[in-house]
Amino acid sequence: MSGIAENKSILRCEEIEVSYGAFKAVTNVTYEFKPGFLYGLIGPNGAGKTTLMNALSGRAQLSKGRVFLNDQEITGQSPHARTWAGLGRSFQITQIFAEMTVFENLRLAAQAHRFRLQPFWRPVGKFKEIANDAERVLSEIGLEGFGHVNAGSLSHGDQRALEIGLALLSEPKVLLLDEPLAGVGHDVAEKAVELIRKVSQGRTVLLIEHNMDVVMEISDEIIVMLAGEILASGEAETIKRDPRVRTAYLGEEE
Amino acid sequence: MNAQRLMALIVAIVISVPLMFPEGHSIGMVNAILIWSIFAIGFDLVFGVAGMLSFGHAAFFGVGAYTLSLLTMRMGWDFLPALGAAGVIGGALALVFSYFAIRVSGLFFALLTLALSQLIYIMAGTKLRMLTGGVDGIAGVPRPDLFGIDFYDDGNYYFFLLALFVLALLISGLIRISPLGQALKAIKSNEVRAEQIGFNVQRLQRSVFTISGIYAGVSGGLLASLIFYVGPQMLHWSTSGDVVIMVLLGGMGTLFGPILGVAIFEIMREWLSTQTSHWYGILGLIFIISTIGMPKGIAGLIQQLWNRIMPGGKS
Repeated sequence: MSGIAENKSILRCEEIEVSYGAFKAVTNVTYEFKPGFLYGLIGPNGAGKTTLMNALSGRAQLSKGRVFLNDQEITGQSPHARTWAGLGRSFQITQIFAEMTVFENLRLAAQAHRFRLQPFWRPVGKFKEIANDAERVLSEIGLEGFGHVNAGSLSHGDQRALEIGLALLSEPKVLLLDEPLAGVGHDVAEKAVELIRKVSQGRTVLLIEHNMDVVMEISDEIIVMLAGEILASGEAETIKRDPRVRTAYLGEEE
Repeated sequence: MNAQRLMALIVAIVISVPLMFPEGHSIGMVNAILIWSIFAIGFDLVFGVAGMLSFGHAAFFGVGAYTLSLLTMRMGWDFLPALGAAGVIGGALALVFSYFAIRVSGLFFALLTLALSQLIYIMAGTKLRMLTGGVDGIAGVPRPDLFGIDFYDDGNYYFFLLALFVLALLISGLIRISPLGQALKAIKSNEVRAEQIGFNVQRLQRSVFTISGIYAGVSGGLLASLIFYVGPQMLHWSTSGDVVIMVLLGGMGTLFGPILGVAIFEIMREWLSTQTSHWYGILGLIFIISTIGMPKGIAGLIQQLWNRIMPGGKS
């Protein structure tokens, strides 16, 4: 980690474009994400925020442009290869293994990270290291005591936390969080914000969030998207004052 | 005791009938049940554990049968290496299939595997007639020649098959609880998430498809030696359909369910075919009714009954 120079980017996209037929969901996006920064990605619905995240994590195919992680080109790589390269993510619609226990969910993420080839000659319970990984993250995301609960029966907020836990187990250098606070109540949201702060220690986080107060408060830098393009980026105060942002986005909210 | 153990007990009773009644006529049927069970156990790794519906497993089963027959009869191989080769060829063909079929999922996967296996079926009856004997097949497939035991006696062959069945069951049981098995369950549960935490989904699917191809190849070879014959019918899509029905009937995704499905299927096939020439249609009807009545198969039914009899007990 210490080898990364202060001003060098950890994740970089160059002129990327994602199109569905004639519709360009993301167009001409170039950005350098610096190590250790927390980026808030905002913009009205349909601005292309999730598509940008999909493009970075390999779920959406680029029609143009290139993506680099740690100066290694990852354009065209599959999502699992990008996970191995250090790119973790959570989804807007919760993606967990609903019929398995919380512990089993985390243990799966641990084994996916530890083993390139999945062993088939020993019961999974014999691999102590992955159980330890799972236990560690279980407490990190504040779900101690819920290990034996079916993931599907967790509260919505806890499921969101579990999603972050699953992403953490791949030891990502960059973590993409797609609306981790969506649909969670006020009290739970506070806990979730704490968790996001905690996981952003020592890693780069790109956060899509609609709650402006939260985004402005915790982000080091804000990226505003509109109609598939980056409209503006910078520190919260600069963004708040930017007239283009006010008319395009913030103004509509107030 | 729990429902799982109860099912194991039922399986143990079914397969040990020849031990209890050595003079009866049940041996032939139990031998067939053991062989089809190996096929079904392997098929369920793909179908029940990984959640991929293949309609092409007849290809691996039939090719295994032809491999064993040709190697022993034309090349003079011993039975055991030829049986091993049947597994290897079955697995290799499955690997080839998987490269084509795994690109798509769900119904398209089922259709692609069906089309590929029908291609093999048609080739066996036409282009490869010199090798396969065409529609006549090959008669006179041998049984093993080991330790001076006469395996042409069904009672003796039973023990040979039982040993392989137990081995197949143990390996499948281990795979299910291994990291590989867990990863496959994860893919079945949520493919997007499985890929995002770093599982190479397609490679895992290919590996389990290949493993189940080995199971199919071995069981196909065994069936050929049981009935001293191999014909293109073993490659026919209806053989793929049979194993799907067996696994669904018994309970997909369970270790013992498919074996019970095989037992019921074989017993009904044996009995119905003596009653009427329309037995296959009636079997299909029974299958349809039973999937409505017990969607999780016999295993699900046993679990349900167990929970009712033993409320509050750990299942």
